[in-house]
Amino acid sequence: MRANNLAVFASGLCKDYEIGDLKIEALKNVNLKIESGEFVVISGPSGSGKTSLLNIIGGIDKPTSGKIFVFGEDLSVKDEDFLADFRCNKVGFVFQSYNLVSTLTVAENVAFPMEWTRKSEEHIRKRVEELLELVGLQHRANHFPSQLSGGEQQRVAFARALANDPPLLLADEPTGNLDAKTSQKIVEILIKLKDAGKTIFVATHDSQILELADQRLHLSDGRLVSLDE
Amino acid sequence: MSETFFPVNDLLRRKLQTSLAIVSLTLCVASSVFLILFGEKLGFGIFTATEKVLTVSFSKIFLQFMYFIGVLIFIVGVVIVSFMAFVMMSQRVRDVGLMKAAGCPNDLIFGYFLTELLIVAFLGCFFGVFLGVLADFASASLLGSFGMQAPQTSIDVWLLLQVFLLFFALVMIFGLKPILDATKIEPAKAISPTQYFGLTKAPEFRAIKKGLVIKIASRGLFRRKSATIRIVLCLAVVFILTTITIAGGIIADQTTKNWVEKAVGRDILLIAHHDVCSQYKLLLSKFYETDEIPQFDYANGEYLIPENLLSQLNLMHENVTVEQRLILQAHVKEVKGYILRETTGGTKEVGDNREGESIIIGVEPQNVLNEWFHEGKLLSDDEALEALIGDSLAGKMFELPLNQQITLFNTSLKIVGVCLDPINNGNITYIPLKTLQNITGILKPNILVAKITSANRTEVLSRLTTLVKNVNPNFEVAELDETLNKNLNFLSFIWSTIMFLPIFSLAAAALCLIGYVMLAITEQKQELGILRVLGAKPKTVLGIVAWQSLIVLLSSCAAGIELGIIITLLILIPKPIVTSFAVIQIAGWLLSALVIIFIFSLYPAIKFMKKPLRELVA
Repeated sequence: MRANNLAVFASGLCKDYEIGDLKIEALKNVNLKIESGEFVVISGPSGSGKTSLLNIIGGIDKPTSGKIFVFGEDLSVKDEDFLADFRCNKVGFVFQSYNLVSTLTVAENVAFPMEWTRKSEEHIRKRVEELLELVGLQHRANHFPSQLSGGEQQRVAFARALANDPPLLLADEPTGNLDAKTSQKIVEILIKLKDAGKTIFVATHDSQILELADQRLHLSDGRLVSLDE
Repeated sequence: MSETFFPVNDLLRRKLQTSLAIVSLTLCVASSVFLILFGEKLGFGIFTATEKVLTVSFSKIFLQFMYFIGVLIFIVGVVIVSFMAFVMMSQRVRDVGLMKAAGCPNDLIFGYFLTELLIVAFLGCFFGVFLGVLADFASASLLGSFGMQAPQTSIDVWLLLQVFLLFFALVMIFGLKPILDATKIEPAKAISPTQYFGLTKAPEFRAIKKGLVIKIASRGLFRRKSATIRIVLCLAVVFILTTITIAGGIIADQTTKNWVEKAVGRDILLIAHHDVCSQYKLLLSKFYETDEIPQFDYANGEYLIPENLLSQLNLMHENVTVEQRLILQAHVKEVKGYILRETTGGTKEVGDNREGESIIIGVEPQNVLNEWFHEGKLLSDDEALEALIGDSLAGKMFELPLNQQITLFNTSLKIVGVCLDPINNGNITYIPLKTLQNITGILKPNILVAKITSANRTEVLSRLTTLVKNVNPNFEVAELDETLNKNLNFLSFIWSTIMFLPIFSLAAAALCLIGYVMLAITEQKQELGILRVLGAKPKTVLGIVAWQSLIVLLSSCAAGIELGIIITLLILIPKPIVTSFAVIQIAGWLLSALVIIFIFSLYPAIKFMKKPLRELVA
């Protein structure tokens, strides 16, 4: 099957939400192919279904209908335990609102996804140092999230997303809450990751990130179109 | 937005939280109402009517328990009510912030939440009073089915109104403070949960492979310091109450039953005229029955034990031990005594000249088959002018009995000891048999107390019965075990009733912990969602919440059980008897209470786990 050779393959993807009697169609017959190592950017107005699509690719949510294959796995039929392992090992998430665990320090926030994968203490320690160096926050290792600026928190979120060296990185508006100067640092991290051959899928309107894209997509009212065609 | 509709709709929308607050409040009020009504029927009623059932000492111990439990149930009620009001409002701080951020004036927000509090307080207190009255009726009926009559009293509406108003006021006082605090918070602070953190320290990073769950759980507790301290205090008081009732109930049950069992004696036989046997059993049953005992002529010549019976029984001495007793009834008088004044070295008069009726039993001091739990000394000399009196007689007629004398049949006897004895409900005087014979001139016993020492009890008992009947067909051999068992069952019933009293408080405590866990989950909702997104399995999240619940439970349990045991053993029960079985029983009950509360507390976490992941991180 072709899906096995792709990082992400979606076919006829639909996602509906029911709020009371109201039915909202967040995704309508979405078809998508992302090659390994590709940098894909998706844009679209608020409420167009970007986050829904990211959630489905990341195994956070399941489609109402259609198929979603990520690295050859059909996520629409997998149970929660499989999806938890999948999210831990195959995908890194970066959210617009950082979503760090406030009761853990920066180093602990970066370390905890590794602690679930039975990696050695030594490996975790080295990896944390390596990742904090990558995002330029070695000096903030023992601080709590509440003691960091928004830009610093987002860089920690990137370090955490890369903890288990996932082949796919999903970022939802990673610069949405940041000013232009701080956003630049995030863009630099994304360039490093692109060069490292990661498959990256970013939902954003940031022009600097759009410029990095190999494939640019646009979602409008739940329908996906390619901006490159 | 309508000022009346918003609070009502808001309460209806938050069904679980609203019902949790109302049910906790209901249980708190119900336990207080039940304690007052049922306690009046059983406990305090018994104490004020000690002449009817239970001896003075038993009533005193029982009253002390009721008093402690009553005070504790009230404290638990107050603490739980304040905690639930706090939890209710703590969960709303974010909403208050959002409303303020949207431009809603402070007084309007205060009005909304005050209305909510009023509704919850009214419903909780109303249902609580209703449930308390219902539980009292149910318990009184249960008492009746055990063959024991609880005094029927009409419902004291004024008393119920007082309880209602008291708890209503408490809810309003404790609930208003968090509302006022919440309305004063700046919108930005109210919206941001990080504002509650006390996390300013920067500990050194160490990867802890197995401790991640515990680390997140314990730091989460620290983060909600105020709520954590409150719930630990609340549960600690509940565990003191639980320990006193469970441990105290079991130990007191064993101790008091041991006193009664030893005072009467196990496998004791009574050899006497059948009228005397029946009368003796009636005297024993006064410990648990309120019926008046008819007048009886103990000195009747027909009741005296024939010489030939005594001589024939002596022939069976290898198989049967026999003790001769003379039982009579007499008018007794208190004789004033004197004690030394420590300060001046002079003497001080104690006592009065009170008079009353008492059962008098002459016993052979060296040959007594039973053992009494006593204060002072036991009778030692066959012909001494001394007496051992029952605790009820001592309590009602003497000030310092061990320094006083008792007059009966115009003879004054020194009181050497006070004993616990259920016969005639402690209204009893034991004196040496020969002394009693000398005073009264009745030279024969009218009762023989016997114990079969042979291993073949049935055969010896049969021979004994035949022997007695052959001497005089009006005489019989009666077993006292049935009456003794009724006495013990009555004590068991009383202690099990006491152990039942805090059940509402325990249920309210479990609901409190559920409320606390809900608060913890609400505050950590997004973070727990993030952990899930990043690979934590649902059971890991359940583990975090379970650890938090367990840490809270164990902290409160440690403090509560320790204090409960100290109060029970040092204050409530004199010379407690603690068997290894009792320890296992107590540990079993407390552990069960702990496990049940713990399991209930996991309900919000299990419910949370079922929520779609996207909702948690949205």
